[in-house]
Amino acid sequence: MAARIISNSCLHRKLHELGSGLSKLSRRTAATALPMSDFEIQHKQPLVKKTKSIPVALYGGRHAVTMLPGGGIGPELMLYVREIFKYAGAPVDFEVVDIDPKSDESNDLEYAITSIKRNGVAIKGNIETRSESTGVQSRNVAIRNELDLFVNVLHCHSYPGVPARQSDIDIIIIRQNTEGEYAMLEHESVEGVVESMKVVTKSNSERVARFAFEYAKKNNRKKVTTIHKANIMKLSDGLFLETSQNIAKEYPEIEHNEMIIDNCCMQLVSKPHQFDVMIMTNLYGTIVSNVVCGLVGGAGLLSGKNYGDHYAIFEPGTRNTGTSIAGKNIANPIAMISASIDMLDHLGHKEHSKVISDAVRKVMCEDKLHTSDLGGTATSTDIVQKIIDYILQTDTRTW
Amino acid sequence: MLLIRLNPLRILNKASATILTRNIHITPAVATLTPRQTNRVKCTLIPGDGVGPELVYSVQEVFKAAGVPVDFEPYFFSEVNPTLSAPIDQVTSSITKNKVCLKGILATPDYSHTGELQTLNMKLRNELDLYANVVHVKSLPGVRSRHTGVDCVVIREQTEGEYSALEHESVKGVVECLKIITAAKSDRIAKFAFDYATKNKRKKVTVVHKANIMKLADGLFLKSCEETSKLYPKIEFEKVIVDNCTMQMVYKPQQFDVMVTPNLYGNIIDNLGAGLVGGAGVVAGASYSADCVVFEPGARHTFAEAVGKNVANPTAMILCSANLLIHANLASYGEMIKNSVSKVLLDGKVRTKDLGGQSNTQEFTYAIIHNLKPLSI
Repeated sequence: MAARIISNSCLHRKLHELGSGLSKLSRRTAATALPMSDFEIQHKQPLVKKTKSIPVALYGGRHAVTMLPGGGIGPELMLYVREIFKYAGAPVDFEVVDIDPKSDESNDLEYAITSIKRNGVAIKGNIETRSESTGVQSRNVAIRNELDLFVNVLHCHSYPGVPARQSDIDIIIIRQNTEGEYAMLEHESVEGVVESMKVVTKSNSERVARFAFEYAKKNNRKKVTTIHKANIMKLSDGLFLETSQNIAKEYPEIEHNEMIIDNCCMQLVSKPHQFDVMIMTNLYGTIVSNVVCGLVGGAGLLSGKNYGDHYAIFEPGTRNTGTSIAGKNIANPIAMISASIDMLDHLGHKEHSKVISDAVRKVMCEDKLHTSDLGGTATSTDIVQKIIDYILQTDTRTW
Repeated sequence: MLLIRLNPLRILNKASATILTRNIHITPAVATLTPRQTNRVKCTLIPGDGVGPELVYSVQEVFKAAGVPVDFEPYFFSEVNPTLSAPIDQVTSSITKNKVCLKGILATPDYSHTGELQTLNMKLRNELDLYANVVHVKSLPGVRSRHTGVDCVVIREQTEGEYSALEHESVKGVVECLKIITAAKSDRIAKFAFDYATKNKRKKVTVVHKANIMKLADGLFLKSCEETSKLYPKIEFEKVIVDNCTMQMVYKPQQFDVMVTPNLYGNIIDNLGAGLVGGAGVVAGASYSADCVVFEPGARHTFAEAVGKNVANPTAMILCSANLLIHANLASYGEMIKNSVSKVLLDGKVRTKDLGGQSNTQEFTYAIIHNLKPLSI
């Protein structure tokens, strides 16, 4: 997605060429010289043509967004998000799709995927896959693969005032999301010997690397670090590393270096401030993001973004369902709320996202109202209520 | 009533606080919500021709009494009175800025004197790309009509089709009018209809067409709808030919849920539907583009013969304004007004002449104001 921002300038010309049939649609865009939201860039300038383009679900200024509450604490967190959106006046209508965790049927899942295809954007909790039988795919993975969400972005930043092991951390972790160790190709050719394939492709590595550098450029980041294990997996991780080195040459203004995953984990816990933007393959990504989340205060704080060529999904940064704390009113709602803020940003509703994120910041950093996972005593609803209070006090009515 | 006038905000805030409490099963210690600074919503207002200004006045009265934080930006906009009319770009830029507009009906002369084929209504729609017109035909409690329990939504493509304004006389005495159907716009309206159905928990979408005669044009529209329907496995999809549809509408209108139609058929069915549930005075509608919404009565009649007589029924306009409030995140006010309207209609004591009553517009408006009750107190 960010890769397309470069050609943003030539967009007007392109839209012009779209032909007379669609000139009405494009003229509005050309007339208002507003910067395009990520959502618009994704949908008006696709790199890969969809087989048939599906019209955008934006009616009268309101976006339709798929909401997958998932299991565990997901449903309650989604309820908070909806309450907050109501008070902040965010022009978003949710289409809630529940997926029954107990059934092995994939009907619900297919419906959820269709719904995301229609709406283009989704916010989701973690969806449980109870079944451990080999025939059943992990649902989270299925959604990512089906929608080709090839990259996951996790912005790890410390909240001042939140007790954590390290302060002032600001790292962006960009992770390949659809292949690598998660290719789900495992077999037992000889009894007692199981092989699991790790697949790395040049095209996907290239997409991720380009995304990372574009993201770095757009957000004024200075350095990109490729995390790998090419000393052992010389071909697969070697390809990933080589691709990112090649792409790096196109961005001379951004520093590029590499680091081996084991060293990286050590450096992260001892000197995390040396990192800026990190790119890595699938499995390393999940490990590193959990390490960094631990450093800044646990699973309840950060949100992740998944991007593909056509779709975007927003979710809490670490993928835990939190089944054990469901219904107890102690889950930290911040991760899901910040996922919703990311979503509003993506859709281009900057004012609303600012109102909500300011409120969150005030609650977290000034009032120091924290749930028990951060050593506080507040309940989830206390925090949500306080955030809503701040939103109501804000001087803008933006709907 | 007095209470509402004095501190509507505090009451509403309290109301919303209790709603919140109930929803997220909060601990008894409810945080106090500080009264909200009223940051007012701006809304473009086009009174329209005929009784439009009177209806708009009654909306403004209701808004004033309910303490609705909306500021109107009025524009006189008219085709029959071109000298006084505001220029179209002023109106469109105001609507683009405010994103919501309340509009009365614009009268259109039967013959074009200037050779201009596009009406002002069409120009406004094309300019803003208001492609989807939604009319919710619903039986109102207390309004006597031929059918009860009607609840269908007519969604009409209104930027192309027969309304292309492409007409010419190649040979003297032979006039051709071009009906334009494009795949892009058909896909768009079909998706709008299905998304509307999804959002409003509707069960069925019916496409109205005449593809047996216009095999290519309506055929394309039908195909777009069929293809879009595949993305919505939970919504039933059905097709009906327009002539059959009109017969079914007057015979058994309850069978329809959401209907999606090309331009002209939609116009006809809108009016037919309005007639079924009580006439042009009670049916609200709205036109959507991607970015803005124009709320206007569902059946397009200016009721010019009643101008100044204080007899027009403001229900449609007031319902439009309530829908506008709900759209602009002022749902508590919107619901309050809607509840009041249905209470007045159900009581049946105050009714305008079109519904068989003896009251005038003003009395009806005051009755609505008297019945305004803040929610959940």
